[in-house]
Amino acid sequence: MKILIVEDEIELQKSMQHYLELENNLVSIASTYSEAEFKIADYDYDCILLDITLPKGSGLDLISVIKNKKSKAGVIIISAKNSFDDKILGLDLGADDYLPKPFYLPELNSRINAVVRRKKFDGNLEINCNEIKIIPSQRAVFVNNILLVLTTKEYDLLVYFITNKNRVVTKNALVNHLWGDAADGFDNFDFIYNHVKNLRKKLIEKNCFDYLNTIYGIGYNFKTEE
Amino acid sequence: MKLLIKTSLYYLLFTIPVLLISGLVFFKVITHEVKESNNELLAKRALVIENYLKENDTIAINLINKSFEAQVNKLEVNLNSSKSVFSDTLIYDKKEKEFAENRMITSFVTVKNYNYQIKTWRSTLEYSELVEGIFYLLMLLLFFLFLITLFINLWISKTIWKPFYNTVEEIKKFRASDNEVILPKKTSIKEFAALNNSLSSMMEKMILDYNNQKKFTENASHEIQTPLAVIKAKIDLLVQSKNIDEQDLKLITAIDDSCSKLIRLNKSLLLLTKIGNNQFLELKEVSFKNIISNSLTFFEEQIENSNLEIKQIIKDDFKFNMNPDLCLILINNLLQNAIRHNVKNGFIEIEITKNSITIVNSGNELPLATNIFERFQKNSSSNQSIGLGLAISNEITVISNLELKYKFTLNKHSFTISSKNN
Repeated sequence: MKILIVEDEIELQKSMQHYLELENNLVSIASTYSEAEFKIADYDYDCILLDITLPKGSGLDLISVIKNKKSKAGVIIISAKNSFDDKILGLDLGADDYLPKPFYLPELNSRINAVVRRKKFDGNLEINCNEIKIIPSQRAVFVNNILLVLTTKEYDLLVYFITNKNRVVTKNALVNHLWGDAADGFDNFDFIYNHVKNLRKKLIEKNCFDYLNTIYGIGYNFKTEE
Repeated sequence: MKLLIKTSLYYLLFTIPVLLISGLVFFKVITHEVKESNNELLAKRALVIENYLKENDTIAINLINKSFEAQVNKLEVNLNSSKSVFSDTLIYDKKEKEFAENRMITSFVTVKNYNYQIKTWRSTLEYSELVEGIFYLLMLLLFFLFLITLFINLWISKTIWKPFYNTVEEIKKFRASDNEVILPKKTSIKEFAALNNSLSSMMEKMILDYNNQKKFTENASHEIQTPLAVIKAKIDLLVQSKNIDEQDLKLITAIDDSCSKLIRLNKSLLLLTKIGNNQFLELKEVSFKNIISNSLTFFEEQIENSNLEIKQIIKDDFKFNMNPDLCLILINNLLQNAIRHNVKNGFIEIEITKNSITIVNSGNELPLATNIFERFQKNSSSNQSIGLGLAISNEITVISNLELKYKFTLNKHSFTISSKNN
């Protein structure tokens, strides 16, 4: 995938780039409004990550630039202003998703994948990972072409793991992905183990390779390669 | 005590001695005047009698003698002085059948070589009666004066004090978050105008401080977001590192947890600021019944984890016009609270009526402190608690015209949300 990151905070930009490049993505970077405008005009991207507050301009204005170009790129707004109005405005202008800062990198990756699937392939793209096949439009999972029945949470977990495969996903990121911001107050995240445990059990029952590695205390790694 | 009553009482207190002293002076002056006029009258009468004697008008003298108001005696002895003497004497009054006080003049005259003693008297007003009269008069005066002052005070407080009471009313209504000073600067009374001016500048200062503080919290929270995002991202990258041992992972986990807590704290502060800024404008009729049932599903795992029993008493649905996002946050906060501060195998009881919701939970055997709705008031040892949940809940109820109350009875903690109109 070709991804453009429009972000003025260099360290955050570097981290995003680093994480996204772990999965063979081509990542371009723009730190200012004009740089972003130039890159949007000259290249085609699958997904553009937009910070709203940029030096010399607003990320919201870039949305219309993208739209005018009739680009098929998915647009995700990344903003420190976790404001509802910005979100509504951004989505109204044609952004595909909105992710408030601070966010988990696996979450960003998961959002990018979801947006690109939806935009480019009208949601018809299958997710394939060795013997596992997922059809997102039907929320159906097949292992070795045999249907695997999962709960909503287990399905979301599996998609999230596969999207972020071969990377460590912290349990905090998992909880945030499954329960959203409202999970902030949860006293303990023990219940996440149960969901993961059940998912793993169901996968193994269908003769799926045990890709899930527990990294004690911190989270999981869905390893498909050594 | 009302100013009106207080001033009236003081007035009464001061009028009593004034009236007593003036009464005494009154009495002295009147009795003196009465005595003077009596003396003059008697002296005149003695002169008349003397004239009768000189004219040898025995008929007139007899008449006078019989009238019991004078007595003329022929004296055998020589006169050694012809001076008139005034005296007070008691004379038997046949009509009243008692001795009455009389003023008497005794004078001596010599007519045709005869010496006469003339005594003539006049009943004086009784002093005691006079005192009594003056006393009653003064009491009456006191009473009327009191009535008049009361009336004047009443009128004053109605008209002159009106701007003052207006000011008091306005101060009662004043909230720095309203961003408005509504005190009238102009009143015809200088003192009140000065009061209003001072209060106005004080309120303006309060509003300014409030806004500055609000702005500061808002800006600080926003500015903190970006570095937090960087830390978070770096942690996510750090855990990807291949050559990392378990000891380091523990350190990273600790950093991650603290960072998450900081993010939560910051988000809550931002939310509080937004509520304070009235940025949740959308209003909709929300069904608390639905929100609670969704919320309970959301907390499913948490509830199972502590093996809590959920009892729902749904008498009716509480429907209320408010911001749906805030309503969700409110219910989530309260349920989260009930779960977090519960005991293992405890219970949560939710009662929904037409205009209230009560969430009761088992938990600590001590009631929560009275300032639980203030920011950063932590009652529990819960590590996840940042001490803003109830402050947020309270702010939400305040701006939504709801009321949030806490009660502790028989080891049960209960929070009730009710509409303010009822």
